[in-house]
Amino acid sequence: MAAPTAEASTATRIHVPVAAWLIVAFALLAVFVLLQLNSTAFAEQIHEFTHDGRHALGVPCH
Amino acid sequence: MTSLTLGAVLRRAALAGLFAGVAASIVALAVVEPQIDNALVIEEARSAGSTHEDPVFGRSTQVVGGMIAAIAVAVCLALVVGVVFARVRHRLPAATDFGRAALLAFLGFTTLALLPGLKYPANPPGVGDPETVTARTVQYLTLIAAAVAITWLAFLVHDRLAARPWPPAYRAAIGVAVAAVGYTALLMTWPATPDSVPADIPAALLWDFRLASLAELAALWTVFGLSFGLLLTPRRVPVAVAA
Repeated sequence: MAAPTAEASTATRIHVPVAAWLIVAFALLAVFVLLQLNSTAFAEQIHEFTHDGRHALGVPCH
Repeated sequence: MTSLTLGAVLRRAALAGLFAGVAASIVALAVVEPQIDNALVIEEARSAGSTHEDPVFGRSTQVVGGMIAAIAVAVCLALVVGVVFARVRHRLPAATDFGRAALLAFLGFTTLALLPGLKYPANPPGVGDPETVTARTVQYLTLIAAAVAITWLAFLVHDRLAARPWPPAYRAAIGVAVAAVGYTALLMTWPATPDSVPADIPAALLWDFRLASLAELAALWTVFGLSFGLLLTPRRVPVAVAA
């Protein structure tokens, strides 16, 4: 068996299906709800629960 | 060398995000929470005498909530970086997956934490005006979006120069220069925060809080970059065939 050579500087391309960007969209939405959402009644509960986290992570808050 | 799949990248990213979130919440507990407590004393003194509205959650719940938020946010950001890593891996100018992961984490810290942190520094409770929170959120998020665009532009310039017979270091230096000029232009053109700091907030408290907040974000991105890179590194070094 041939020993693998040192990792080449040009890596192979990884296939990323379009659906993978749904993960990105969902993750960003989750971050938005956790850290940014402010103006609804539901948001107030989230806001108060993650309040210290919002301040600590430097997100605009009051 | 086995080829990486998107799933394998995302599993490693999620685990690295978990480590990053735990590290960030430990830093938050150690250095941010004491400053939040200092700020809350000032807020309390402000509202002394007036009718007090009941807080939705107690302080201990908010401390735990802050830690849970840091972990959840770190895992979510890790998944985003994981998909981006898979998409751009073959184009990132580093020799190993550890180097590529470290580079992406560094860019993540710069564009998502440091730049907005410089333009709109973190504030403890009792500083932000509830009336302006939506405007400040828009400023903050558009700055981040523009910083991501500048980063992308810098890579675009870097890649376009590949056709020229230059050493890679020249292209890297030009790419970094494009990013630095672009980031500086963003910091200069984005509007200032509409809030002014209330007179009863000591400057030292602001400074300590902002430093602590940056420390938490730095811990998050450092631990993410290192653990994502290590998890992507094959466990065994390929054994060189003896000559």
